[in-house]
Parts: sequence; structure tokens; C-alpha cells
Amino acid sequence: MNSHNRPYGSYQPRFQGSASPTIKNPSTQVQQGTQFNDRDCLNDMLATEKWLTDGFNVFAREASHQTLHNEVMRILNETHQAARDVFNLMFEKGWYSLHPEQPSQVAKEYQKFQGYESQLPHQSGGMYQPRQF
Amino acid sequence: MYREGYTQQYRMGQPPRVLSTKDCNYLTDALSWELLASKKAHFLASQCSDQQIKHQLEQISQLHQTHYDILLNQLNNTEHDHDHFGYQGYRQ
Repeated sequence: MNSHNRPYGSYQPRFQGSASPTIKNPSTQVQQGTQFNDRDCLNDMLATEKWLTDGFNVFAREASHQTLHNEVMRILNETHQAARDVFNLMFEKGWYSLHPEQPSQVAKEYQKFQGYESQLPHQSGGMYQPRQF
Repeated sequence: MYREGYTQQYRMGQPPRVLSTKDCNYLTDALSWELLASKKAHFLASQCSDQQIKHQLEQISQLHQTHYDILLNQLNNTEHDHDHFGYQGYRQ
């Protein structure tokens, strides 16, 4: 099956006869030689953004006064957003594919952890509200 | 300011707006990360043929430049003199 003839954003079967589809756009072609191509550029930038979020996460945690902490949190947030933007663009170009988990498997895990909920020490819908940022 | 304005029992609820040595080390590290990231994104944008990718990379380059300025401002603007704690002015 030629994925390039499929409409934008379509589901493609992972393999013939498989019930589980692959979530993927038709791949944008890039030159396959030794040169650094467009896909390599985005991959490199994504790796950089991921690396930066690690660094800024530590910085935010270790910052002394509140103003500095707030500024670093803002940078951390925006760096995550930049990584998302690159990831989304790569997905749009068809350079990322996702495989959905079987719904039966998700249901199984849901039931398991729903069972564990009885171990939690507080009633559900506790009083604690997370701070708004 | 702290000693003059308050009794000896006064406790700071939070660290004052003073850069610690650790803050300073992290800031200089982060500044070099942002400088490299901004230059890299700009360079990668120049290497790309796809206009959409070029545009995205240029935007990221600008974002890192903005972050660089924020961090540089922290290095410049934080009070070194405790007597001026609370000063809100910005030197551009």
C-alpha cells in the first residue's frame, strides 16, 4: 500500500490484517545521502531542546530567590513548548509514527489502578488544590 | 536594612533577591546554552530548503535570544547591595 496516496492525517494499518493502526502522516521525502538534510536539522534541534529542558529543570529547582525561580520556570516552560513545536512539525512532515495501545490493555491497566485507589490515605476529591501558575 | 528595620527576632520568610554563588554559576552556564542554541537554530535554518522548517527554526533562534536577554538581565539587575532591597527599576 502506497502511503503517499493516502489523505493527510490518515490511519494506516501497521501491517496487513492488523487491527492496530499506525498514526502517521505521509512521509516528506528528504535526500538520503551523507549531507545533513532538513529532517536531520529538526532532529538536531529537538535533541537540543530536550537537553535544555533537563538543564533548566535543575536550574529552576536550585534557584535561590523567588524572582529568579519564576524567570527560570518561564524559560523552562517555553523551552518545552519549543520542543513540542519541533515535534509537531516533524509529525506533520510524517517523520514520527505512533502506535495506539490496544483498548483492552488500557482497560486492564485502568481496572488495576482503580483497585489500588483504596490504598490512598485520603478521600477522593481532597481539599488540597494545586497552586495556579 | 534587615537589621535596622526589624527586631532581632525578624526572620526572612524567603531568600532575599540576592544572587548566590550557585545562582551565578547556573546563570553563566544557562547563558552559554542559550547563546549556542540560538546560533545553532539560526545556522540550521540557513541549511534547510523547506520554508516551513526554516521559519520554525528561525523562531526558535529568536526564542533563545529572548531567553538569553532574560538571563542576562538577572545577572545585571539583581541587587548586590542589601540596602537597596526592593528596588524595582530596570537598567536597559
